[in-house]
Amino acid sequence: MRYILQRVGQLLMVLLAVTAITFASVNVLGDPLTNILGPLASVDCTDVDAGLIEDTSTRGGTSQGDCSIIAETRAEFNLDDPLPQRYVAWLGNISTGDFGTSFQNQLPVSTVIKNKLPVTLRLVGMGLFLSIAISIPWALLSAYRANRAFDNASTVVSFGLLAVPNFAMGVILFYFFAVRWQIFPTRYDPSSVYSQVKSLVLPALTLALPLAATYQRLLRTDLITTLQEDFVHMARAKGMPNRTIMVRHALRPSMFSVLTVFGINTGALLGGTLVIEQIFSVPGMGGEIVKAIVRDDTPVVLGIVVIIVTGFVVVNLLVDLMYSILDPRVRRG
Amino acid sequence: MAEPLLTVRDLSVRFPTTRGVVQAVNGVEFDLEEGQTIGIVGESGSGKSVTAKTLMNLLPRTAEIDGEVMFDGRDVRELAAKGEDHFWGVQMTMVFQDPMTSLNPVKRCGEQIAETLRYHMGHDKKKAISESIDLLERVGIPEPAKRVAQYPHELSGGLRQRVVIAMALACQPRLLIADEPTTAVDVTVQKLLLDLLDDLRKERRMSMILITHDLGVARGRCDEVAVMYAGRIVERADSHSLFSDSRHPYTDALLRSIPRIDQPSHTRLDPIPGRPPELINPPVQCAYAPRCRFAQRSCLEEIPEVSGVVGMHSFACHYPANTERGEAALQANLDRGETAGGLHLHAAAEGAS
Repeated sequence: MRYILQRVGQLLMVLLAVTAITFASVNVLGDPLTNILGPLASVDCTDVDAGLIEDTSTRGGTSQGDCSIIAETRAEFNLDDPLPQRYVAWLGNISTGDFGTSFQNQLPVSTVIKNKLPVTLRLVGMGLFLSIAISIPWALLSAYRANRAFDNASTVVSFGLLAVPNFAMGVILFYFFAVRWQIFPTRYDPSSVYSQVKSLVLPALTLALPLAATYQRLLRTDLITTLQEDFVHMARAKGMPNRTIMVRHALRPSMFSVLTVFGINTGALLGGTLVIEQIFSVPGMGGEIVKAIVRDDTPVVLGIVVIIVTGFVVVNLLVDLMYSILDPRVRRG
Repeated sequence: MAEPLLTVRDLSVRFPTTRGVVQAVNGVEFDLEEGQTIGIVGESGSGKSVTAKTLMNLLPRTAEIDGEVMFDGRDVRELAAKGEDHFWGVQMTMVFQDPMTSLNPVKRCGEQIAETLRYHMGHDKKKAISESIDLLERVGIPEPAKRVAQYPHELSGGLRQRVVIAMALACQPRLLIADEPTTAVDVTVQKLLLDLLDDLRKERRMSMILITHDLGVARGRCDEVAVMYAGRIVERADSHSLFSDSRHPYTDALLRSIPRIDQPSHTRLDPIPGRPPELINPPVQCAYAPRCRFAQRSCLEEIPEVSGVVGMHSFACHYPANTERGEAALQANLDRGETAGGLHLHAAAEGAS
């Protein structure tokens, strides 16, 4: 219990650090005022503010009206406050579920996330599931007859999968399975749960295949090591069938390195999702964040970053808890 | 006498490696009667564990095995080839050297015993666990009901080895192979475990192969002892004759190298000089000749055949110890100050023998 609290504390620290860096960079690398008001923000109001000149908007010069909009906006978004103060205010809002309002369409960011997150989560979930569902049986088969025909072929295939870049893999799968053979739809089809899942198979597979290849490599190596352990010999001496030995004796003690990498890779997977969604035109957060970055829609970028970082940290927390489930020896560590 | 339970004939095991073929076991033969114990003694690399693993079908696929192993009229190598079920673990089973590593670290002790009972005996989970508790009690584990729910790392080495023994005995095997069962535990625990194995064996009329590098362990607990050197059985005899009237110079040297309580303290022990031979492309000679105090020219030219009374006391040596011929050979070497194998002897140190 104490351990879990400690881990949750670490989780919060990571969240703070990442959001602080992101917050600072989006505010420093572009003028937030420009992002909100567009070209209007470039109006020079120093003289108007100083009361030196009158409203000159009718003559195409600086307008008193424009300047009042700028002043209002500055006040509304607290742009005159120092950066740390704005960060703290933003954090306060986040903790109450208020992610701010999109500069783009005046929608609350939480609504944008609520609309787009489920699809992305489903895609990530399917990707993670497929990567595990493919790699574990594959590694078991490879390790069972290590360095035989199947294992050697597997090595070639897994290195192939690892070598192909994510987007290329997406395009290849898309071409064959969606365009050529038309097994899966070419566009995301939200009409029913079945069609949604079916639409996500190819993008999820694109995410899962390189991961599955990585996990297969790792797990295979660890399994081969475990299979030389005395307790595996003991299980064989007890006359347990090979299947039982592989699945019930060798698999669990071989999972540790794969589990660690699984946690770390989840970050890459979340990033990869954003690209893959574009290729398969999945209406998830990927499209949203790309749009938001291009248009400097700061609240949306920040909101999505918070969600991704939280997801990554939570998965790693779960991975840590998995260690103690897998290995009784660390339980009372 | 009835058919022996186990007969091993001309068993050879080779491992192809990148450096050449390792001849790990070479022409091993022995019989084992129902209810009897044979001790296989030898130093590391003598082939005793490989012999055991051959019987248990535990060798890697790369191993090349020749010879015949019959268990109760069944060809063990044939059973292995067709993947016979309910044979290993039921008829014949094995206990390993290191109790720290021979239990699965992530499974409860009870589960590991029960799994055997469920698979071979078809017990349901409840019955298998209650029988596991009985087994743990039988091997002298205190609070067995608590132990079944514990993980191996929560038990001491001695207790773990008892769990391993309980696990091996779960399905009432007729042959137990114990590969250095007490090497990894304290001396005080050693005797307890050996006595336990002895009791269980007698109670169940089980046969046992006790593999050890420690002659003291084999003494008194085995009906017959086979001494292995470089993949061959160099001497085999009933326990009493082997210890009182050894023939092979290697056995002789082993006996002289262990401390004895009936000798005055500070008596010098005679170590065996040199090291065991390479098993890759060994020269055609008695493998022990380079380290042997009795070695003559003929020992370097031909491998001695097994001689002596077959089935009683047999040995493979041209100049056996404790015989006239052997003593003459030793005396000749002492006179020359070195053996035909180039080993230097110091007459002064040999005076005591």
